[in-house]
Amino acid sequence: MKKVLSMLLVLALAIGMLAGCKKTVDVADNAGTPQGGTSTNQGSTNTGSTDTGKTDTKPADTSRPDTHVVLKMYLEGSNVTDDKAVLEKVNAYLDEKLNCELQPIWGTWGDFDQGAVLSLQGAEDVDIYFTCSWTLNEYNQFARDGYYVRLDNPDNDLIHKYGQDILNLLPEVLIKGSTIEGADGYGIYAVNGYKDIACQNCWDVNVDLLKKYGYTIEDIEKADYYSFGDILAKVKAGEGENFYPLLIEGAVLERMVDNSIIVAGDSGSNNLLSYYINPTKTSEQGAYGNKILNKFATDEFKKFCEKTREYYLAGYIDPDMANPEKANDTRSNKQLTGQYLIGTQSYSLGYEIQASTERGFEVAMVPTTPAYVDTTSSQGAMMAISTASKNPERAMMFLNLLNTDAYLFTLLDFGVEGIHYNLNEIGEVEFTDERSNYMPWTNGLGNVTLLPPQKGQGADFQEKFKAYYGNADEIPILGFTFNPENVENEFGALANVAAEYFLPLCTGAVDPSEKIPEFLAKLEANGMQKVVDEANNQLSNFLAAQGK
Amino acid sequence: MSREKTKRNRLQSVSIPTEIIFHIIVGGFALACIIPFIFVIIISFSSEESIRLIGYSFKPLKWSTEAYGFVLQMGSQLWRSYFNSFLVSIVGTVTSVLMCILYAYALFRRDFKYRKFFMFFAFFTMLFGGGLAPTYMVCKQMLGLSDNYAALIVPALVNPFFIIIMRTFLQTSVPEELIEAAAIDGSGEYNTLFRIIIPISKPGIATVSLLTMINYWNDWFLTMLYVRDSSKFPLQYLLMKVQNQVDFLIKNSSVIGVEASKILQDLPGTSLRMSLVVFIVVPIACAYPFFQRYIISGLTIGSVKG
Repeated sequence: MKKVLSMLLVLALAIGMLAGCKKTVDVADNAGTPQGGTSTNQGSTNTGSTDTGKTDTKPADTSRPDTHVVLKMYLEGSNVTDDKAVLEKVNAYLDEKLNCELQPIWGTWGDFDQGAVLSLQGAEDVDIYFTCSWTLNEYNQFARDGYYVRLDNPDNDLIHKYGQDILNLLPEVLIKGSTIEGADGYGIYAVNGYKDIACQNCWDVNVDLLKKYGYTIEDIEKADYYSFGDILAKVKAGEGENFYPLLIEGAVLERMVDNSIIVAGDSGSNNLLSYYINPTKTSEQGAYGNKILNKFATDEFKKFCEKTREYYLAGYIDPDMANPEKANDTRSNKQLTGQYLIGTQSYSLGYEIQASTERGFEVAMVPTTPAYVDTTSSQGAMMAISTASKNPERAMMFLNLLNTDAYLFTLLDFGVEGIHYNLNEIGEVEFTDERSNYMPWTNGLGNVTLLPPQKGQGADFQEKFKAYYGNADEIPILGFTFNPENVENEFGALANVAAEYFLPLCTGAVDPSEKIPEFLAKLEANGMQKVVDEANNQLSNFLAAQGK
Repeated sequence: MSREKTKRNRLQSVSIPTEIIFHIIVGGFALACIIPFIFVIIISFSSEESIRLIGYSFKPLKWSTEAYGFVLQMGSQLWRSYFNSFLVSIVGTVTSVLMCILYAYALFRRDFKYRKFFMFFAFFTMLFGGGLAPTYMVCKQMLGLSDNYAALIVPALVNPFFIIIMRTFLQTSVPEELIEAAAIDGSGEYNTLFRIIIPISKPGIATVSLLTMINYWNDWFLTMLYVRDSSKFPLQYLLMKVQNQVDFLIKNSSVIGVEASKILQDLPGTSLRMSLVVFIVVPIACAYPFFQRYIISGLTIGSVKG
């Protein structure tokens, strides 16, 4: 008995080991390619494609390829429980156009980060991934590590062969913003979505309350942060002790007042690095030129902190705003119930109308700068083709069609007409109850300008949309992304220091005359200068490469 | 007789002040355990309006059963997830405990030649893991653990910590002579294990079973990694999903922009999440009493034995 058992065990182990060996080799092979040999990877993709699509000799994007393939697409932010009706139609259409079939993976806000990263690292056969500057499969990082196919690689040049329509259609800034230094050189690693691509920070004003105290919106437009004092004092006196007229998000407020912006690649560190834009003409250089600064050491920052401290002591700012655990909840509750006078808001077109209906009082948005496009906002939502994809050509053809074909895009985003939505007499979309079972994240899908307007937006919404976003200026360092690899240790330590001081300073909860010098000393001790130098070094290399 | 009893009691007891202090400490600890749960129940019965205005409170401005109504409206998904949670917990616990016993028993037997190696083998994985990405690849691509119930059960089948608990339990409570006696009486290995050892190690098994069951019941991570089909979601994951979404949207609201706040509003509110918590906690809390007497005896048995 014992003998038999031990024999069996040995056998089982041996089989297990052998099987393990075989598979691991396979897997390692798959996984190895994206990280290491990028050129071999491109080569194999090419040979692969000639194998699968031998008749594909004339790669014009309108012709229907002969082999049938399944494309998997990993999406972010979906709320989809029943996609049968939509996929039936989508796949019938795709079969006719591109001889392919779509299998979306409906990632949600909660599981996309982990799921997509593991799927990429595990070299799963998913063809297209959502990517951007703020998810865990961060565009710049993963392009550098070789997980995404370079679309304009001279070897196969997918985007010019199969995606020319996209290039014609997207605003130039978007192409610029997605052109980065990746594993296969300087190029495009993902197709940008055309969504609310511009940044514009606004004062979010409670107009009803403002009028109650005899002011008009012009009074806010004329004033700036440093001269809000009188208005705030009057409203505070009228509304009582527990009313805080300034409803602010500390970090956003600081950027609005000082005209500093986040440097892409620096997210998650309380934006240590800052670039200063020109507040009146964003396409031109700001007061400090094309330089990245330690913003905490600037005079602006000091002045801002002092003023904020003054407002805080006068009771204009809710102490909850300095508590990161409570700030968000408190802020959205107060917004909804109208317990504020002036708030901070990053704007998207038509938001004042939406906010007014949501909150039940008149809301106005007063911009502090013209709308501008920076690297982060231009990389807000993109679609990348995975280097593990077996059919990158077809994936590119699909992306091309999706971003240019209004029927397909509307179908995939809004669902089937007659089931998920109906069109009213002026051509606006009115959703039915079925829509709650099928709600992909519109901005995560691609070119939203293909969509018909929704109820209340007006028939000319897309024209307005294109005019607003298509004409937004680009900042001078658009496309630049900081790569913290060389200064990783300092960066981590500095982020911890900033986490301790930044929010309390920006909300006025601590005394700047005491805390700023302390803060700066700690930053200096942890190598702030080294990080800033590294960033400026990278920036000047970037600008030189662009010929500026 | 009665005098003897009181005397004995006094012998075992501690002085009155010490006892008072102990009672306060233990009572306080018990309160600390139960209050959060009571709080959750209260929040689940508060109206969203009240939460918005005064935050969480033991005395909400307005009571409401709206959240429960909404949860029940989820209908098929809720019951489906309930079923999945039970299925995974029960099947998982039975198989996992069986494996744990088999492994621990082999380690416990002194005449097993390779016990040191297998002990190390189990122990090693407690300290060092392969990391998430390799585990994911092995599970998903080699073992095919994707979108099936096996994906929720298999990765957590063997838990080295429980094996060590079980082995220690066997060592302290099962005399080696018993096995020898059984062998002399002609009992085979399986017979000895299943008819002699297992019946006398019920307390240990119950302890490990309870821990394993809680593990399975509370697990959402495996679902997040391997399952995309909502018909296989366990209950815990439904809750986790909502919570993860809320956290993510709040964290990234500045980059996603105004859309984030709109999406957040469509997600279930706090009271709804709390009512889901109640749905999750009640069944597993009901399982405790059944295991409790074994756990208590399991804890004492080592020292009483002599």
